[in-house]
Amino acid sequence: MMTVDILSSIKGAKESEAVSKLFDAIKSANVNNIDSENKFKNAVSLDDLREDVVLDSSTIEKEIIIENFPKKKNGYLVVAKVIEE
Amino acid sequence: MSKIREIHNKLKNKEVTCLELVQEKLDLLKLNTHNTVNSLLDTLAIDLAKKVDAKIADGKEIGLLEGIPFGIKDVYMVQGTYTTASSDLLKNYKSSYTATAIQKLLDAGAIPLVKENCDSFGHGSSSENTIFGAVKNAVNPTLVGGGSSGGSAVNVAKEYTIFSIGGDTGGSIRQPAGYNNVYGLKPTYGRISRFGLMAYASSTDCVGPIAKSLEDIRIVLNAMSAKDVKDQTTYQSESISKDVVLLTDEIKTVGYFKNFIESEAISSEIKQSFLRTIDTIKSKGIAVKELDFFESDTLVSTYYTLAMAETASNLSRLDGTNYGNRIEGKNLKDTYSITRSENFSEETKRRIVGGNQVLSQGFSDEIYLKGLNLRDQIAANFEKDFKKVDLILSPVTPNNPPKIGDSLKDPLAMYLSDAYTVGFSLGQLPTLTTPKGTATGIQITAAKKNDELVLQFANFLNDIL
Repeated sequence: MMTVDILSSIKGAKESEAVSKLFDAIKSANVNNIDSENKFKNAVSLDDLREDVVLDSSTIEKEIIIENFPKKKNGYLVVAKVIEE
Repeated sequence: MSKIREIHNKLKNKEVTCLELVQEKLDLLKLNTHNTVNSLLDTLAIDLAKKVDAKIADGKEIGLLEGIPFGIKDVYMVQGTYTTASSDLLKNYKSSYTATAIQKLLDAGAIPLVKENCDSFGHGSSSENTIFGAVKNAVNPTLVGGGSSGGSAVNVAKEYTIFSIGGDTGGSIRQPAGYNNVYGLKPTYGRISRFGLMAYASSTDCVGPIAKSLEDIRIVLNAMSAKDVKDQTTYQSESISKDVVLLTDEIKTVGYFKNFIESEAISSEIKQSFLRTIDTIKSKGIAVKELDFFESDTLVSTYYTLAMAETASNLSRLDGTNYGNRIEGKNLKDTYSITRSENFSEETKRRIVGGNQVLSQGFSDEIYLKGLNLRDQIAANFEKDFKKVDLILSPVTPNNPPKIGDSLKDPLAMYLSDAYTVGFSLGQLPTLTTPKGTATGIQITAAKKNDELVLQFANFLNDIL
């Protein structure tokens, strides 16, 4: 099983005592079966989805995106090699 | 008295220029010692103010929000401005686009002055979890400003801004509003678009106004509300008219949660003042019912478990690849983990780790799915209650604001201090903090999409308290 530091991509990450107490409260809570009528209804209807079209960003938007690159070379984003293992 | 209308009339009657008004507020913000400012939008604000003055000089009509200075919690995108989420990771990040809610205010002519200090990524209840220094309470600067929209509430209370736009996931507008004696509204989830609000827990994140008058809350709410194709959870709502808010005799029955008031955690001062307010309401002929609700620890645990799961997922994109303060490691994965370990605060890391725990194999059924089930029960409980009462009243917080420094020492105590706000977030209900009735105000909650009822009752409380 992956440890929390790997799962979270945070070096040395450890489980927290305060958070564990929250989880304990959930484990010990009484849960009744909820009928489907009362299930949390928060899904977006398939009839109400936005059009799947590509919208080009404005020039200023593109410029700011490039300005935000943490490391760039000749106007391109520099990243570490992806395939290493 | 509406501050927006007061300034609108002054601008129209040429008693003050917009430039003078904006410059005065910018000076106040710059000199303030409450740590409310992450960045000032002075160039933009002055430019917009000059345009409003030119319009008035030309004898043209101006809209109600035109020239009104406002503040923005530093988790909203405003194109070309720094949007830091009060974090090291994004301390130099510039928004490439503008949030829908903010764009609507800009379209109405309101003038943004400041990106406001808050808990990093909304992770906190005191606005101490920030790289810009703890926000100091407007009334007593040795106390916290509340969180996570602390800078916004303090700016409004000190009148550095006429209104501010906060974000509320589990109480982050309502609690700081209560701590600083101003109004703060979390509308029904989906009434205002979340597009361009940095996501914390997407299923409860809400955009909302903080202001000194109820009328200003109504004006700003109307300006921001609309269905937005960029946020598919939004719905089209009706504008709330000024006249409808004045109809205070439509509310016949209110309820309150008995266990909130009988809890050992509530201070005797808040308990007594809340019960006195209930007596005053009864004396005006409104029926008051005691209601049963979930225990505070169940509410807080359900909210935090689900919010942590959502924030772990939402913040997984922040790895320093495309933006953010990347710290290079020996390979890609190392770069991710060093960047995240060095740039996230302890509280943010605690929530990401907790979220990944509950989503991981072996935990998800026992905790996450059970948390979702509890949320269903909480929502069903609200539905049942709103068949018996028109509104639910509750204190905003069990206690007065803590001293600066105290909340960070005990995260569990900080989580539990949100006991009265998180339930309404899980139910996605409209809830207003009104600065009346207890030292940290009273929350007024209605059923989903009944935001106008909340404003009506707040107006009624203004008349009787």
